[in-house]
Formats: sequence, structure tokens, C-alpha cells
Amino acid sequence: MHISEGVLAAPVLAGATVAAGAGLALGLKELRPNRIPRVAVLSSALFVGSLIHIPIGPVSVHLVLNGICGLILGWAAFPSILVALALQAILFQFGGIVVLGANTVILALPAVLIHYLCRGMVRGRSHGVAWVGGFTAGAAAIGLGALLLGGSLTLSGEAFREAAVVAVTANLPVLFIEGLFTAFCVSFLRKVKPEILGTFDTLDHPEERL
Amino acid sequence: MHLEEFAEGHSIWHRMDPRIKILGLFSFAVVAALSNRISVQVFALLTAIVVLMSAGLNERKVASRMAVVNGFVLFLWLFLPFTTGGEPIAQLGWLVLTREGIVLSLSITMKANAIAAATIALLGTSTVFDLVHAMIHLRIPNLLVQLFFFCYRYISVIHLEYTRLRTGMKVRCFTPRSNIHTYRSLAYLMGMLFVRSYDRSERIYQAMVLRGFSGTFWTLDHFHMHRRDWIALVCMSLVILLMVVGQLAGGIP
Amino acid sequence: MIRLEDIGFAYPNSTRVLEGLDLLCDEGTRIGIVGANGSGKTTLLHIIMGLLRPTSGTVTLFGRQPSSEADFREARRRMGFVFQDADDQLFCPTVAEDVAFGPRNLGRSAKQAHEMVSRTLDMLGIEHLEKRVTYQLSGGEKRLVALATALAMEPEVLILDEPTAGLSEETSEQLLGILSRHISTSIIVSHDRSFLQRASDEVLLLEKGVLTETGMSEMGTWSRSRPPSPGDPL
Repeated sequence: MHISEGVLAAPVLAGATVAAGAGLALGLKELRPNRIPRVAVLSSALFVGSLIHIPIGPVSVHLVLNGICGLILGWAAFPSILVALALQAILFQFGGIVVLGANTVILALPAVLIHYLCRGMVRGRSHGVAWVGGFTAGAAAIGLGALLLGGSLTLSGEAFREAAVVAVTANLPVLFIEGLFTAFCVSFLRKVKPEILGTFDTLDHPEERL
Repeated sequence: MHLEEFAEGHSIWHRMDPRIKILGLFSFAVVAALSNRISVQVFALLTAIVVLMSAGLNERKVASRMAVVNGFVLFLWLFLPFTTGGEPIAQLGWLVLTREGIVLSLSITMKANAIAAATIALLGTSTVFDLVHAMIHLRIPNLLVQLFFFCYRYISVIHLEYTRLRTGMKVRCFTPRSNIHTYRSLAYLMGMLFVRSYDRSERIYQAMVLRGFSGTFWTLDHFHMHRRDWIALVCMSLVILLMVVGQLAGGIP
Repeated sequence: MIRLEDIGFAYPNSTRVLEGLDLLCDEGTRIGIVGANGSGKTTLLHIIMGLLRPTSGTVTLFGRQPSSEADFREARRRMGFVFQDADDQLFCPTVAEDVAFGPRNLGRSAKQAHEMVSRTLDMLGIEHLEKRVTYQLSGGEKRLVALATALAMEPEVLILDEPTAGLSEETSEQLLGILSRHISTSIIVSHDRSFLQRASDEVLLLEKGVLTETGMSEMGTWSRSRPPSPGDPL
């Protein structure tokens, strides 16, 4: 889910850049020195994860992973996703420098939203509820991201509307796969290392504040 | 995993001060992305192509990168020529091809290719480490630069862990298919990467604290602007100025 | 079962690791391979498993010469491979799921896979680990679980890469017991000569890209070629 350079209209680019800047400021404000390596290395893992091909019928898709990213990182999803997208733009020319803000908002805003929406379910006592929470997180993060992508295309011009509709629809199977993937990922983390999901925002306890 | 495919070389772009390259690329990309005059877009594309050719990079690799860039552009070509209102020039069944549609698609194609080509030539020819260094000098927020650096630094480490686990799955006869078993197994693999990354980051932080890290990145050596860097700076400024003037001035569309 | 003839292998931009190597592993033979670090032991095993393709020579697995990934995939169903580092092999949350992974890939049902898990863990004497979280096990326990993940697929030949590295003496003994009781055909690579002497029928030396007989065999007695002389390694 990357928009290429040169597609979005100037007002959309400007608006998205401002929004990304605000999200980034909030995300960075939370970041204590002890969390920098953690957010950074988890971003590396997300970057590697986004290279995995997942088969759906005759084709295969890349994972987006913004759902699990939001669940784990909260507001820090903004800097995490920005950094990963900047690296993709520089190293692979996926996306680009000027649309960096827009692409960041498309992925990170849903990530933060589902963090608040699904963290209760994911951290709860019941594995079943947590699974559903994980599925919802993965699917909703893609769904909302696709809507933001479609919206930013449509805002750039009437002519983009059909392309936007197709782009959003094409993400529906991905939504399902990401939901399943995130659900299983959540159940893995709950069994193996629940603190990754659970205590991330309580890490800034006073005694940890250096 | 080899991420910096174009960083090795001896062209003028490889030798240039990365601060200038970052500033130059950023202004070029912004002006090119915002321009709505075909003449400016053509100029931007031609300039970017000349710059890219002069970097002496492996042509096959460059071509495959540019192909990726044009995936999304091609997708838009399926729609925009027909969905843009304007002067009809042809009719294919119920689809009406418009002049404005073709122009819009062409303009997007040129902008996307110009910016991507310039990115390869300017940023691709530096190592990420040099770019990080330059970002600190350019006053990009320190926290962000640290994140960028650490993220980059550990991608190859985690990618290696990933390929090893994938090999381990392969010898146990795993073949990805469209089924729950595949999705669950790959999700567990991803979960394992998260857990290892989390534990690794703890060790990194401890090691950093032991070495007196308090939250700021310091740079030891500094860049020196050579004469050729000043010349490059002037040339880039001229190109960008020309594009701005071309955009703002009347006359040619 | 496994036959390598005149195998040569070189990594890109590097010297040749293997050169004119021959190896024959028939049903019922347990082969041990010793060699110094960097002598190409792991490379050799990866060639057998089809993870690396030799630059020259032929690989014959179960009477066929695999040429494509699909051919190797077929052959891998019959060969159990355990990595040197168990962390490269174990990725599931619990031991039971990790051991069931292979059988599920072979098309077994969940119920059949579950039976395989219990049977294999019983066989290795680690049934108490079944519900444990793999990531939290000790190094030795992980090694045994990794072995279980391979054995659960009921391979015809077992291939082990440095099985004793980092193991306590006690776990090494446990491993040796398992191998001698349950495994009839195996290829084991190790730098641990005394372990190999006890775990295999014949020990070969990998040096300068080829395998040569060491004359060492079970119980450390000298077989075949010549009587021992004072300068021989034990």
C-alpha cells in the first residue's frame, strides 16, 4: 500500500505531511531513551516481515503489518512506520520522499486507532477474545488504511475516483489475510512473551524514567 | 541481505558530500511533485535521467527498480485516460479517451520517474551510514535519526534470522499455500522475530548504557565541503530555480 | 540411499570448499564425519538436503537424481535434518506445535499429528515438555525438541549437524542413547570425535574438500586399513 510520487495533489500532500508531523511529534514525545532500541529493532522486524510473500489463491501479497505494529507500539507506530517507509523509499524506491507524509498517515493513523480499539481485547484474560481482537486489529488496520488511500486519491481529483474504488476493493482479500496473520501473531506473543503486547505503554513507569 | 545496491562506485555522485545530495534531492522532489506544467515535468525527467546515467550504475538493477516504480503508475494508466473529463479523442465501446486524461497520466508518469531516478542517483549512491551522518548535520531531530539508524542497522541481522528459520521450515517440508496452516506458521515465524528483536533490543540498550549513552547521538568526524561540492550546490540550485521559474512564469503550459 | 559423486562446491567469490567429494550412505549405516571448522561440513549437509546446489558432481537420493526444487522437496520428506543451532529450527509457541509442524506439512491430520507428537516425545523421554513454551527452554532441552521435530516426520535417514555443540555431558549421553536405540541410518557431522566414534559405524574425515577414511570406528578400535601407530589421534 504505497502511493507513488507525483500522484497526489499539492493540498493533499501538504495536509498529510502536517498530519504525519503531528503524529510523529506525539510518538516521539513518548519515546524515552530506553525505548529507542526497542522501537527501532521492532521496526526492523516489521520491515523484514513486510518482505514476506503470502499466497492467496494464484497470487501472493506482501504483508503490511500496521495492525500488529499499532498493537505493540501505540503512538510510536508513527515514527516506526515513518522510518521504515523512508528506508523503503531510499533503498527500494517504494513510495517516495514527498509522499512520505501521506504514506505514513495511511498506515500509522489506523495503527494508532486500533491500538486503542483492540488493546483491551488483546490483553484480556481470554485467548478466544484476544484472537478476535487480533483479527479485528489486523483487518481494521488494512481496511482503514485502504480507505485513507482511496480518500487521498479521490481528494486529489475527480478522475481518481474509479482507480480509488478498485484500489480499496483490491485490498479486501489482504484485509482477511492480515486479520488471520495478526490474530495468530497475537496468540503467539501472548504465549511466548506477553509483555510485548501488554506492558508497552506502562513501560514509562516513574521508576523507569531515567 | 544486500540493501545498498548502488552505494559502491566512483562517479561524481558517489564522491559528493551527502548533505548536498539530501538537500538537492529534497528540493528537486518537492518542486517536481508540485509542478503542474508539462514543460517543467519534461525538464525534470530529462535532468534526472542524465544524472542517473552519469552515476554509472548497473543498468539491469536500475531498470528493475524503475519497473517497480511504474507498477502503480501503470495501474493508474488503466483508469485516468478514461475517467478524466475533457475533450474526447477516441471512443472504445463505452470508454471515452480524453486528451486531459492522457496528459494527466503522462504527467504522473514523468513526475514519478523523475523523482525515483533522482533518488537512486543521489541517495542510492551514499551508504545509509553517510546519510545518517548527514541528517544529524542537517538538524533532523536526533531521536528520529537514531531510530532510522538502528532500524537500518538491524534489518540485515533480523533478515538473517528470518532466512534461517525459513530454511528450517523448508527442511521440514513446508511449502506456502493458501491455507490456515500456512498463515498460522508464517505468523508464528513473525512472532518469533518480534520476540527475538525485543530481547535483542534489551541487550543493545544495556550495552549502550554501559558505554555511557544518555540519549544523544554524537558525530566524531565532520564533512568537508570540497570545491566540487560547492560547484554541485550551485548547479543544483540553478536547476531547481529554473524549474520554479518555469512553473511560475506564464507562456508554455 | 544417499550417494554423492565427485561433488565440488565453491561459495561465490570464495575458494573451493569441496572438491571431488564422494560419499555413500546405505540403509543401516551410521556415518560420522569429522573435520576442522570451516572444512565444509555444514556445506556438505546442505548439499544433501538440497539447500545448496553443488557446482559439479551428482547427488543421488533414494535412487533418483533430484534436479529441481520439487525433486528435493520430495526427497526431504524422507530425510530428517537437525540444525546445529536449535533456534534456527524452532519457531512455534509451544513444543507440541513445533513437533506437529512437520507431520502437518506431510499432510497428516491434526489428530494424527498429535499422536506423532506424543509418541516422539515419549520416545525421547521429554513428554513433560509438551506444553512448554519452546522459547523458554534451556539449550539442551531445545536441542532435544529440535531432534523431536525431525523424528516426528519418521525419516528414513537422520542427518545431524554438530549435535553435541554446547550440550552438557548428561544431555550428550541422553542423545547417544536415543540414537543407538532408535536410529539405524544416519549421517552425523561433528568436531567431537569421541561422540562420533560411539554414535556411528564409520567415521570419515573431511579435509581439503574430500572425505577420507580415518580408520576409526565404534568403540574407538581401529578397523580396516592399518594397525594403530603411536602418532595417531585417538
